Amino acid sequence: MRDKDVRIGVYICHCGTNIAGIVDVEEVARYASSIPGVVVARHYTFMCSETGQNMIKDDIKNLKLNGVVVAACSPALHEVTFKNAVKEAGLNPYLFEMVNIREHCSWTHTDRRLATEKAKDLVRMAIAKVKELEPLEEVKAEVVNSVLVVGSGVAGLSAALTLARAGLTVYIIDKRPVLGGFVTRLVNIAPIGIRGREFVKPMIDELVEMPNVKVLTNAEVISVEGGVGNFKVRIRQRPTYISDLCTLCGYCEKACPIEVPNEYEGKLTMRKAIYLPFKEAYPPKYVIDENACTKCGKCIDACPVKAIDLSVKERYIDLNVGAIIIAVGHEPYEPDKGEFGYGLTRRVITSLQLERLLDEEGPTGGRFIIDGKVPKTIVFISCVGSLIGNKTTNACSRRCCSTITYDTLKILSKNPDSHIYILYRDIRTYGFEEELYWKALENGVVFVKFEEPPKVEVMGDKIMVYVREATINKNIVIPADLVVLFVGMTPSNAGEIVRIFKLSRTADGFIREAHLKLRPAETPTEGIFLAGAAAGPKGVMESVIHGAAAASKALALLLNKKYILREPLVAKVDEELCSGCLICVGMCPFNAISVKYVGERRVATVNPLLCMGCGTCAAACPSGAMEHNGFKDKQILAQVRAFAGVVV
Amino acid sequence: MSPKVRVALYWLASCGGCEESQVDAISDKIDIISNLEIVFWPVAMDFKKEDVEKLPDESIDVAVINGGVRLKEHVEMVKLLRRKSKIVIAYGSCASWGGIPGLANLYDINEVLSRVYSEVPTLQEKGVMPRPKSVTNEGMEIELTEVLPMLLPLDAVIDVDYYIPGCPPTPETFLKALETLLSGNLPPRKSVIGASTRALCEECPLNKTKPDKVLIKEIRRIYNTKIDPSKCLLVQGIPCLGPVTRGGCNAKCPRVGSPCIGCYGPLDKHIDYGAKAISFIASILDLNDENEIKKALDNGIPDPAGLVHKFTLPASRLKVNLKRGEHK
Repeated sequence: MRDKDVRIGVYICHCGTNIAGIVDVEEVARYASSIPGVVVARHYTFMCSETGQNMIKDDIKNLKLNGVVVAACSPALHEVTFKNAVKEAGLNPYLFEMVNIREHCSWTHTDRRLATEKAKDLVRMAIAKVKELEPLEEVKAEVVNSVLVVGSGVAGLSAALTLARAGLTVYIIDKRPVLGGFVTRLVNIAPIGIRGREFVKPMIDELVEMPNVKVLTNAEVISVEGGVGNFKVRIRQRPTYISDLCTLCGYCEKACPIEVPNEYEGKLTMRKAIYLPFKEAYPPKYVIDENACTKCGKCIDACPVKAIDLSVKERYIDLNVGAIIIAVGHEPYEPDKGEFGYGLTRRVITSLQLERLLDEEGPTGGRFIIDGKVPKTIVFISCVGSLIGNKTTNACSRRCCSTITYDTLKILSKNPDSHIYILYRDIRTYGFEEELYWKALENGVVFVKFEEPPKVEVMGDKIMVYVREATINKNIVIPADLVVLFVGMTPSNAGEIVRIFKLSRTADGFIREAHLKLRPAETPTEGIFLAGAAAGPKGVMESVIHGAAAASKALALLLNKKYILREPLVAKVDEELCSGCLICVGMCPFNAISVKYVGERRVATVNPLLCMGCGTCAAACPSGAMEHNGFKDKQILAQVRAFAGVVV
Repeated sequence: MSPKVRVALYWLASCGGCEESQVDAISDKIDIISNLEIVFWPVAMDFKKEDVEKLPDESIDVAVINGGVRLKEHVEMVKLLRRKSKIVIAYGSCASWGGIPGLANLYDINEVLSRVYSEVPTLQEKGVMPRPKSVTNEGMEIELTEVLPMLLPLDAVIDVDYYIPGCPPTPETFLKALETLLSGNLPPRKSVIGASTRALCEECPLNKTKPDKVLIKEIRRIYNTKIDPSKCLLVQGIPCLGPVTRGGCNAKCPRVGSPCIGCYGPLDKHIDYGAKAISFIASILDLNDENEIKKALDNGIPDPAGLVHKFTLPASRLKVNLKRGEHK
């Protein structure tokens, strides 16, 4: 655009005193109005308010603006607000540029004069860019009204139920042979004390009865293509070998010669290679542990209904879904051998093994005994693998403190003369669970605060626990009969998941949410949502809520929609300049670039529905044929020139 | 019969390759030659500076100048030719962006002179430096022009109307450029003529052998690599500059298994040719480990400026002379 044709409006927001307290907004507006091409420059208390937006709309109509600059807060907060205002007034919203003079200026500086100068620089640069902007049209994407939920723990179940009740087609898959996830290993879900398997059963029962729900167990996502509204997902389902004819008679299990530790009983007991994970398991049939099974065929002979076929091969299933919810959960921390005495004696156990010992249906029938004896002195060590231990995530696992206090009360109800010590760094029984802490105190549980992690030494029958009590600052030695390590949550297979779905991880290794506070349950990739402990440690209640949150965001995206509009801020090829060198094709993390022919010539082409606007291809393109809408060289260089006054 | 086109041909810091390509192109094109009236061509015919000075301003239709501006004399001559000519053409890589002699700009001029006149091992008499004034054995006083501190592309000194790229431009490129000029339908000023508007890959026969994704784990050098001349060199790890270099040469080098070294220079959209070149090489280098990347670059690109700015350094963003050692 030539200067004389440019008609730009510039709006400086006070943000109350957030900006105006440091930046001289009047001065910035005065300065902006002196720049060629600017026909109006105003400042106002809250540009995002109705009045502020109307200012822009009126000016667009009355002054025939063809470019708008708003200098206010972060675009993450109000870019959409202003874009919509510009659009409503009849101007293409991509002729609008937002400048962040709050986070990038007033909040980071204290010197009024310098902050004002910086705001002027930023505004001048935006004006220069707007002069080079081009109107863009949004990209229409067709929507598939179905959702894939990856993981069937409480978060996945909660998400799937919410979506299925709203009438969407839901695919729920789990890499394990049964639904329910981690919670099925718990017996005491604090503070209500419900068994995990009973907790998920009604959810699973409702879900699997729904005609619009498809369940795949033993299944994992191996690749994802496409984008919001229309993902193409390839799933690999490992064989289950046992058909729905299974009557749970159990003859196969008796015939099976292979025994391995039973992970569903905290490895406290053994199970066969063909086994029923637990009696409430869904699908209600025996499963075969592929790693343990030798395919000897004895189970086939034993099965009275001919439900077993060991020749079944893995299969691949291609799904087309509009959104994806990742609810792959966590893995409990597994202490190293010797870490706090773990693995050196059967009397140092993890919190998960404790759960099984307290379960009426567990290996001891709910009697709290170890090696046939009732442990009298019991020491709990909290935060193992989360805040203390060989490998820590530095993330509080949230559910442990309430579970510890609940478990001690349960033990005391079974064996009232137990001596129980809880060694802790912080007790975080928040909300309603605070009551459990006081109950434990009242019932004689001794809380020992440490700063240095305790040391555990196995001495014959006794386990000596050494700890320096931090409030009285004295060393204490506790000869214990049983030590329970409360283990934290670690990311479950997150590396593989982020690779397949092209997401990123937090420093702790969990899958990163788009924004902890503003965009929970979302990922930066449109149409892919996160639920439960996959995004960081959560309690059961929180996971249920998080699952429902992810589902409602997916619903908002897909429900009753035939297509969605996507921002056209994507890469675009100038076919006239493209030499077909293919450098860009290998750069694209989203497989959005392919090759097409213009007559005889081979050129690159970008699918705007698959492009996520990362810009990698534009940076790599050796000839400058690939450019990024809204971030073209001429637009960025205009900003650089406006800033530095240099000829680039 | 229309009047002949009055042409001046001149060379600056040049190797003579450009003249060869010009002669090569038109020696058998009688129809073209008969249309030209050469008014100045010191490399082949006996003209002097005074002959040009005597001509009226803008009386030459086209001045075709090759070589980079290295001497004070060059500055005087090109300013003179500019004044006398309607159209000035930068012919070849040196005139366009400095060319290979432009790599001397990486060093201070005194270091360059010392290298050339004292250190080169094949010198018979070391340390004889050029002086502005000297007396010959016969007692004749002669004057030499001064060397400039940096080698400059032609357009750093005078306005250039068109560019014909290449080291040297192929005869076909020159003929195509002449065709454009003689057609009377002149492209916008500052255009590159006679060559392609797209990168070399388009015209390279090896381009169709590329796999879908061009990613390399190693950067190889031609002196110790067995090259398969039937496959894209880039895919074989050779840093061929085809994707970043203007086409128009008909892929003469890659066609015979030798990588493009970039003599047709930048495309219209480039801001800095070398930056684009190194950026695309970095992009396709499919390594993530810092040490592996360092190893690949140390082994594969020992001389980055020599690779990506072999013909374009004086026209790049890197304009500063560096003292020897500083560029490491």
